[in-house]
Amino acid sequence: MQKKVVILVFAALVVGSALNAQKYFTREGKVSFFSDAPVEKIEAHNSKATAVVDAESGRMEFAVLIKAFQFEKALMQEHFNENYMESDKYPKALFKGEVTNMDAIDLQKDGEYKAGVKGSLTIHGVTKEVEAPGKFVVKDGNITASSSFTVMVADYDIEIPAVVRDNIAKEVRIDIEAGLQELKKGS
Amino acid sequence: MKKLLGIGLLLALVGLGVGYFMYNKPHQNMEKAEADVSLQASELFSAFESDEGSANEKYLDKVIQVTGTVKEVSTDEEGNVSLTLDSGNGLFGVICQLDNLAEHERTDFQPGEQVTLKGKCTGMLMDVVLVRCVVV
Repeated sequence: MQKKVVILVFAALVVGSALNAQKYFTREGKVSFFSDAPVEKIEAHNSKATAVVDAESGRMEFAVLIKAFQFEKALMQEHFNENYMESDKYPKALFKGEVTNMDAIDLQKDGEYKAGVKGSLTIHGVTKEVEAPGKFVVKDGNITASSSFTVMVADYDIEIPAVVRDNIAKEVRIDIEAGLQELKKGS
Repeated sequence: MKKLLGIGLLLALVGLGVGYFMYNKPHQNMEKAEADVSLQASELFSAFESDEGSANEKYLDKVIQVTGTVKEVSTDEEGNVSLTLDSGNGLFGVICQLDNLAEHERTDFQPGEQVTLKGKCTGMLMDVVLVRCVVV
């Protein structure tokens, strides 16, 4: 009898916490970056980033495959992968962190919410602590998360040869946009 | 002396030409690209699932021809179409993003349909991702 009660209580707890811990995700997040140097402007786009956000704790993860970035020029893409990002060795870039003001954000309710994001960003095998401003827009139940921030190329041990110093910016802007869907249990 | 100058000028021109051509080198034509390896979506997925490191070594950046059942079709606001192929794993699959530089005969794929595509393998996040896919 006692055992049954324990099981029941346990089951109730599991179900309860599963309902509370609402998670949102996407596998079609967009990540773009822009390098604006004196000689040329370079941009690349990736629309296959994955992201998971826990609406309760604010914890979030973002991952992107380096080789899935598309450039306008094939040569740039080649250099980016082979010389700078060494994407054979480091195929992913990863962000793990949290939304610092999740208490003020209600993803169930329409509105525009400013968000602060803090965590560790791993690019080219180097991990750095970063902080960035972000935004959640909830409209008709659709959630879009976005952020724009800059990273210093040198921070991630990416060496740019002197010859192309004027072609590649030292500071690269990264734009992120992700439509998030509810992660349904057991789907 | 004049001859030398002429040769120098010619070399410089050739150099410029080659440089310009290299700079504008087109992306690989995926329709004509020869597949490096051909396999089932489930095989590709389990290769990554069981040992990502060695799968990366084997498949990264390769043109891969993959056959599987369409599980999901999605189009983003820029009109890029992605197919998710069933991998046997309930949650994750093989995502094939259609090449936006190629002409596609059709993009209206239906879940349940059997397809064969070739594309460039970029690795695995939760799903294995192929980009620049064209139907074989």
